[in-house]
Amino acid sequence: MAITAVQNPTQIHRIPQSKYIDAVRWLPPLSPLSKLAVLAVFDSDADTPSLETHSLSIPSSSQTLTLTPHSRWTPPSRISSLAATASSHPLVAASTLSGSLHVLSAGHDSMVDDNGGSGSTMEPVLSVDEVGFHVGPICGVDVIESECVSVGEDGKVNLVSFGDEGFRRVFDGNGLVGFNAVKWASPSEFVTGGYGFGLQWWDLRRPGGPVSQLKGNWSQGKTGGVVHSIDIHPSRKHTCLAGGSSGTIFAWDLRWQQQPIVLSGVGIGDAATPSFSESEVWEVQYDCYTKPSNISSSRVLPAMFSSEDGILAVVEQGEEPTELLAEPCAINSFDIDPQNPSDVICSLEWESIAIVVRP
Amino acid sequence: MSGDTNGGALVAYTADANKAIVYPLRHGVKPPISRLAISWSRGNTLRVSVMRKPSTSGDSGDEDGGKVVEVKLGNGDGEISDVLWRRIAYGSVSPFALLQSRRNSVSSLSKMSFNSSPYHVEWWEYVLEYSKDINSLLGNRQSPPCLLIEDPKAILKKIEKPTCLKAAWELMELFYADKLSQAWLPELLVDWLADYDNLLSGTQVTVHLKLLDFQKDIVSLQVIEDHPKFWEVVSSALAVGWLEIVVKLLRLHGSYQFDQLGNREIENGLVETVAVLISKMPRMRPELEAGKLGECFKDKPDFIKAWEKWRTQITKLECSPYWVQCVHHQTREGLRNMLQIMLGNINSLCTATCHWIELYISHFLYVRPFTAGLESMYSLAQKCIQSKPMASSHRLMGLLIGILSENIEVVLAECSKGFGPWMVTHAIELLTAGNDQADTLLHEERHNLGGISMEELHRLVYAQVLSSHALTWQIAPIYLTSCMQQGMGLLEILLYKQPVYNNQLLLKNIEICRLYELDIVSSNIMKIAGMYHWKHGKKGSGIFWLQQARDEVRLNRIAQQMFDSVGKSISDESFRQWEGLIQLLGSESKAVGGLEFLHKYRDFKKSLLQIHDGKTTEATRQAVESLISLMKNPSTPPRFWLPLLYDSLKLLNWQERPLLNASQTSLLLNKLQELSMAKLRPDFVEADLPPQALSSVRLALATNLGRSILEEQ
Repeated sequence: MAITAVQNPTQIHRIPQSKYIDAVRWLPPLSPLSKLAVLAVFDSDADTPSLETHSLSIPSSSQTLTLTPHSRWTPPSRISSLAATASSHPLVAASTLSGSLHVLSAGHDSMVDDNGGSGSTMEPVLSVDEVGFHVGPICGVDVIESECVSVGEDGKVNLVSFGDEGFRRVFDGNGLVGFNAVKWASPSEFVTGGYGFGLQWWDLRRPGGPVSQLKGNWSQGKTGGVVHSIDIHPSRKHTCLAGGSSGTIFAWDLRWQQQPIVLSGVGIGDAATPSFSESEVWEVQYDCYTKPSNISSSRVLPAMFSSEDGILAVVEQGEEPTELLAEPCAINSFDIDPQNPSDVICSLEWESIAIVVRP
Repeated sequence: MSGDTNGGALVAYTADANKAIVYPLRHGVKPPISRLAISWSRGNTLRVSVMRKPSTSGDSGDEDGGKVVEVKLGNGDGEISDVLWRRIAYGSVSPFALLQSRRNSVSSLSKMSFNSSPYHVEWWEYVLEYSKDINSLLGNRQSPPCLLIEDPKAILKKIEKPTCLKAAWELMELFYADKLSQAWLPELLVDWLADYDNLLSGTQVTVHLKLLDFQKDIVSLQVIEDHPKFWEVVSSALAVGWLEIVVKLLRLHGSYQFDQLGNREIENGLVETVAVLISKMPRMRPELEAGKLGECFKDKPDFIKAWEKWRTQITKLECSPYWVQCVHHQTREGLRNMLQIMLGNINSLCTATCHWIELYISHFLYVRPFTAGLESMYSLAQKCIQSKPMASSHRLMGLLIGILSENIEVVLAECSKGFGPWMVTHAIELLTAGNDQADTLLHEERHNLGGISMEELHRLVYAQVLSSHALTWQIAPIYLTSCMQQGMGLLEILLYKQPVYNNQLLLKNIEICRLYELDIVSSNIMKIAGMYHWKHGKKGSGIFWLQQARDEVRLNRIAQQMFDSVGKSISDESFRQWEGLIQLLGSESKAVGGLEFLHKYRDFKKSLLQIHDGKTTEATRQAVESLISLMKNPSTPPRFWLPLLYDSLKLLNWQERPLLNASQTSLLLNKLQELSMAKLRPDFVEADLPPQALSSVRLALATNLGRSILEEQ
């Protein structure tokens, strides 16, 4: 096993683009050989945003990899957050800085396109941009089969059900609180995150406010930061993973509500916690490709993160982190392919995309 | 400095301001247009506001009353697109930063030890590594994958057109960074021209252009050697040393064909002899790329020997009696002309080449292969310019002459004028490598530049260019921090100028502050962000940023505003909205200012809600404790004293037994006394309570005091 690992080292492909990439997500592949990804793109010269799907085939050796554009859709303003479902008829949810939410179905086009292959299409399913939906930018959005949840700095938590008109207000913080990230845990539960490393657990069956809140004693060292990204493992819904300021990555186990489990971070909790990065952790995801060294249910599963100082790495509770990429610029967003978790797509600050293929 | 020619301008600019450029505006606003306002936007864009005369009748309500359009003023360099420039800018950050950090460690090392360490790597090796890294950004000369069957008639390889920027960079690298290859500089120039002669074709006839034209004809030609252009092209290619092309062309000669070999034997022998002589030409260089012709010699004595021998062979061939037997006139003359070129006949070289650089290169190849030293190279160049002047100037020519004339200022000016601030900033590193004169010239602090050096000036200019674009401003700090005098000041301005409304951008900005230890700047930015969010109704975000900035003054002021709304809303059901905010404030009171009160007030309210009539429980004990600690705490605003006491009436009038002891009760009574004093102050805000509130509190306190004294006895 070790020998094959040497023979097939991690492949890294950097593909320069001509526009800024705000976010990336994998979509189910078009064919076994061709992968598909959706990019939230912003052209700063023309001041125009767009949502684009691109196909790519990962070459066996060190050949150059190219992205082939497939379909394109123009949102009314720059995309602030992007989410996609992993089903065969994927839905893409995109929120904008102007406070609107758009859901598109990224279906496969059965017709043969100009290039001789079958392409993908993006059809808008619904758009919500009515007055009072959100004030200012939407910071986080997540989508499941029938519903979409959005949160913003305005403290509003809104639910959009497909097939219904308009939206449903779950909570209105009136700006007294702000949320930066949201993630579904089940069709009726989701988790939000915001300032002061706060996490809130919501249950649609128990309306009125969050069911549970994380009140970790963060103030021991530095003051708290902002949660940028949340992930929940489908098989362990009680543990919620979050990443944010000062290189902080922590898990919140609902069974031990009071204290967060810190996986990485600066000046928080005990000094033994490794700190791999000191800057903003923009995204965290559970990494099902890395085998956990200890499969006890009390241990947090391995997680991947990307940071402002250009690091893409896998952290595990009590283990040394493994670095996958160290770029001279920020890695703003990444996604692990749910169908083939060895492949990771990243968007880099310097107008480029990186694809990491692990052996 | 180019200041003399540009009327005192610090940075050279091209003076084609006479040409008017028209930028069409598409604003889509219906006439009549009443006002037009123009202002600068980011970078080199103009913001034009077009305003329509407000219509008197209300019928055109859905029409735009005006529009703001941005006009991007074109960048001077059409060769490289904006996207490509940004890619070059991104890519050059790492090599530049690496070189700067190496310079710092080298200079600190040399300060420590007086003798230079034996392990000390020569500085120019670092510079060469840097130069190669930068060069690779400017495009690769990758030839397309070789075809299995090569087209016998394709004389020019199809390559992507290189850029002048890359040609200029390679020229700089050749002369300033690559110290090892100085001995074979002439041969390197031969290679350089072979790669970039086509760049000059735009303004000028070149050998490359001639070859390109002939390539088109070649397919239709039956008897190639009869064509007068054939011999012209072959001798031109020979003059500039493109030997493999020459040999390839010669082998297309009709005498090689099987059916003609018999009666053109002598002719073919002559063609082949010349081809072999050409392919055996001695070259003063360590190696040749695969597929290139010639024999390499590293040492000068070996080369001279081979060179003399080769020339003797040519002379011998020239005097050979076979020429008379060669009946094909064109072949005979063509080949003999080629021999003249190889022997260095100035007239033949002049006829065969198209412009002075080609002539110059042919001199290196056939007349003065040992030319060394810039001085002699420069005088040779001047001679060539005289005999073959160029019709129009080209930016690469200007640069080459500047380099040969050993005038650093001219080189800088040409770099700046022809290739822009990126080029100057990065090329300065090459200029100063091992060149003490350039080093002092560029690093000397100049009075007329406000005490900064020329190096710093050019870095600042480049940093300004980077700062003006939304995607490259984050790179500018790398260059600004390498500027000793004014870099940090400009960096602070740059950081302050970034917008705060986008959270991600704000955090990136603060991250830069952290990297360069600009704590004051970062806390000011946080304050700006905090006030922005507060004013836009995002109170939670506002408080968070002010907390991060530890801005107690503003937090206290905000607290006063908050109390106004708290007094009204916290008692009722909307309590939940405050929950998250209070959560954010945390249990620790540091840097929270007056907002700490909110936290305690919430705890008190909560325990009050848990009290059920009549029973003394843990909750009641806690409520009393919270009340006392709130009343004791100096951060509790006086205007809340009475509402707090009024809220706790049921604690004071507890049926079972007095909950507060005598000393606690007297503390509360004292507070009530203080309150009557506080009411006299002008800034006191009266609580919104029923008129009998004060008297009922007073009564309850008095009763409780009596009961507690009795109980304690």
